[in-house]
Amino acid sequence: MEFKLPDLGEGITEGEVIKWLTKEGDQVKEDQPIVEVMTDKVNVQIPSPRSGRVTKIFVKEGDVAKVGQTIMVIDEGGSGTPPQALVFPAPRPPVAATPAPVQSAPPAQGVLATPATRKLARELGVDIAAVSGSGPGGRIVDDDVKRSAARSGTSTVTVQAAPAASPTGGPREDVVPLRGLRRTISDRMVKSLRTTAQVTHVDEADVTELVLLREALKGSAEKRGVHLTYLPFIIKALVPALKEFPYVNSSLDEQGGSIILKKYYNIGVATDTEQGLVVPVVKDVDRKDIFELAGEIEKLSSKARGGQLSLDDVHGSTFTITNVGAIGGLFATPIINIPEVAILGLHKIAKRPVVREDKIEIRDTTYLSLSFDHRVFDGAYAARFTSRVVETIQDTKKLLAEVL
Amino acid sequence: MIEADVAIVGGGPGGYVCGIRAAQLGLKTVVIEADRLGGECVNYGCIPSKSLITIAKLVDKVKEAEKYGVQSSGVHVDFAQMQKWKSEVIGKLVSGIEFLLRSNHATVIYGEAEVVSKDRISVTTTNGREEVTFRNLVIASGTRSSSLPGLEFDGGLVIGSKEGLDLTAAPRRLLIVGGGAIGLEFASMFQKLGSTITVVEIMDQLLPGTDPEVVRLVHRKLEGRGAKIYLKSKVAKLTKKGSEAEVEVETPEGMVTIVANKVLVSVGRKPRTERMNLKVLGVQTDQRGYIVTNEKMQTNVQGVYAIGDVRGPPLLEHKAAKEGIVAAECIAGLPSAADWKVIPDAVFCDPEVASVGMTEAKAAEAGYKVKRSRFQFAALGRALSTGDPEGFVKIVSNEEDGQVLGVQIVGPEASNLISEAALAIEMGATVEDIAMTIHPHPTLPEAIMEAAESASGRPIHQLKT
Repeated sequence: MEFKLPDLGEGITEGEVIKWLTKEGDQVKEDQPIVEVMTDKVNVQIPSPRSGRVTKIFVKEGDVAKVGQTIMVIDEGGSGTPPQALVFPAPRPPVAATPAPVQSAPPAQGVLATPATRKLARELGVDIAAVSGSGPGGRIVDDDVKRSAARSGTSTVTVQAAPAASPTGGPREDVVPLRGLRRTISDRMVKSLRTTAQVTHVDEADVTELVLLREALKGSAEKRGVHLTYLPFIIKALVPALKEFPYVNSSLDEQGGSIILKKYYNIGVATDTEQGLVVPVVKDVDRKDIFELAGEIEKLSSKARGGQLSLDDVHGSTFTITNVGAIGGLFATPIINIPEVAILGLHKIAKRPVVREDKIEIRDTTYLSLSFDHRVFDGAYAARFTSRVVETIQDTKKLLAEVL
Repeated sequence: MIEADVAIVGGGPGGYVCGIRAAQLGLKTVVIEADRLGGECVNYGCIPSKSLITIAKLVDKVKEAEKYGVQSSGVHVDFAQMQKWKSEVIGKLVSGIEFLLRSNHATVIYGEAEVVSKDRISVTTTNGREEVTFRNLVIASGTRSSSLPGLEFDGGLVIGSKEGLDLTAAPRRLLIVGGGAIGLEFASMFQKLGSTITVVEIMDQLLPGTDPEVVRLVHRKLEGRGAKIYLKSKVAKLTKKGSEAEVEVETPEGMVTIVANKVLVSVGRKPRTERMNLKVLGVQTDQRGYIVTNEKMQTNVQGVYAIGDVRGPPLLEHKAAKEGIVAAECIAGLPSAADWKVIPDAVFCDPEVASVGMTEAKAAEAGYKVKRSRFQFAALGRALSTGDPEGFVKIVSNEEDGQVLGVQIVGPEASNLISEAALAIEMGATVEDIAMTIHPHPTLPEAIMEAAESASGRPIHQLKT
């Protein structure tokens, strides 16, 4: 049977084959994981639909497959249907002996691509014979070539970098292929900056009382078996602000020419892992107390670090928080997690001199950086929103009403 | 002394197109032409032959005009006027080419080019020698007719295609040696102009390499109008007797003696490189003398390119021109290459024959599950209403996915019909794609659509086979 890349979840149309867990000729059992695929959100292992022998693998590691595209053939035996391999005509015999110093062309007759696409491949330095086509009948379309070019960008560097040896003999550059999560992040960050008008607004908050509040609640949290960080407090402080400033919790539908204001509050929490940044989502934060939030955040971040996030775990955020407070720094200009329109950066809490009632006091303070999409709302709106968040954080009475 | 980024030897269809493109790309370009711009095609090949074939067809139509209710009598062909018109057509094209080259700021030098060193050419012009130094050299010197031992061209009795187009009368008895494209075009043309035709071909069919079903129609029509065709035959001996040649032909049925007023030899062509002194460069050639290149038209010598006929068969104008563009673009540093899947060809015999891609036999050989479908022009309104309903369109496709692998057309305007098929193959189109595309009625290309419909299993104007 032909095995087609299955539907991986809402809105996901393609995935990059990260790793084949089987090879041609192998026997596989039903439900045995056979391939690891990176979608634009998360890695998934796809199990074999049948038991049988793998007769053909069509998609190479690092290539992108579309949902519904045949990625492999499994011979279930018995029925004896031969694998539906792509039949290419025999390569055209070379016109004559090809001269030594120049490389000869791939057999063009076998490449299923239009002349313009073939030209594009030459322009982008892509060997079209090595590109797998996503069009009907395996046709190679422009997008396939562009993707292939984007991926091989680094391998071109390899060619140039290799001879550049340092005086001591070792290579002066290491070349790391842009693959998997790194490439996804790379694509998404560029897309975010390219398609939105980002501005960062920075404010400061006096969190002296919050520090005390957290200390006070730590004990009860531990009794419930959760570790209480500042994050759940900030998330709770966001809720009234997001309700009051609905455009911050929205997305822009450019084609439809409309702004979609969301009345649910799913907060993405940017999480640093060894492979790179992932953003698990804490859902319906307005309906959960801080202990529930703390528990969920803990669970999600440990899943993230273990690479075990499900598609559901990373889907559907309406606003994102990135917290670099534990590492240090003053403030930052975070990049919006599209299609959202704003992201809040949390930073280090430090004792700083603060002027209060004309006296200098030592207080716990922090900075908040809000990057927002200026297409959707303006600077004043962003400033008012941030200041509303700050207000809630600073006023523990208000905050307490929210968190519990 | 002229310094050129690109020196192009030969101003034929390959060279002049290369020259225009190179100049457009900002390269200092020199085109060196030993004879006339436009080369073999414009001056001694495609264009003059098509001009004469047009006239021959006209004569033919007029002769049968009565059938259409048109009375005509005393049809007379004025060969001098016919040649004059042909020359005018050529003249327009040649001056057009010169205009294009000059307008694009390419320099044209007329003279024989000889390579004197790795970066220098010496051109013998009517005003003495002109030296050209080059960064890149494009060899586009083409081919010339090759003769056979015992059948050497003498300019009178034994001639090549070039002389054949300059004849001032139709030979009463014309023997054509070589039943390929050129031979058959002459055969059909002079048959219409009144010659008695004999064709001698060494292979077992006319137009070797072409689908036999297609060729059969041409063969039958030539014979039907009185031609004698000897296949698997060759000329053993030629004796000149005054204004006639007595030719002994070895046929499978034994020796045959043919008396002819002209013997036109069209047995192939050979590369025209001998006067260029290419050994200075060390350019690699194959056993037949054709220059070997890669898909970027680069020879084994850096900065030296070859395009067109001098690279070897198929010897076709349209291939040379595309190769000229590829060479110019590669020299300019663009990522160009000869990556076309197919090169269509057209033979202007009667009926016309045009093919592109694989024949049925070739496709089967390549391992395809071959689907063949045909449509006869006799069932097509437009073909009937032009009085030219002979022939058919044949589509060879892959039964598994419907992809068009090859198309052969024999019949009216086959040469003008084949481009759609070439586009289909380059685009990877299926028979379904062609069948689903509306073709205007009443036109000849409908035959392609009908053949495609038949391949898709839904023929309308023919019975399902």
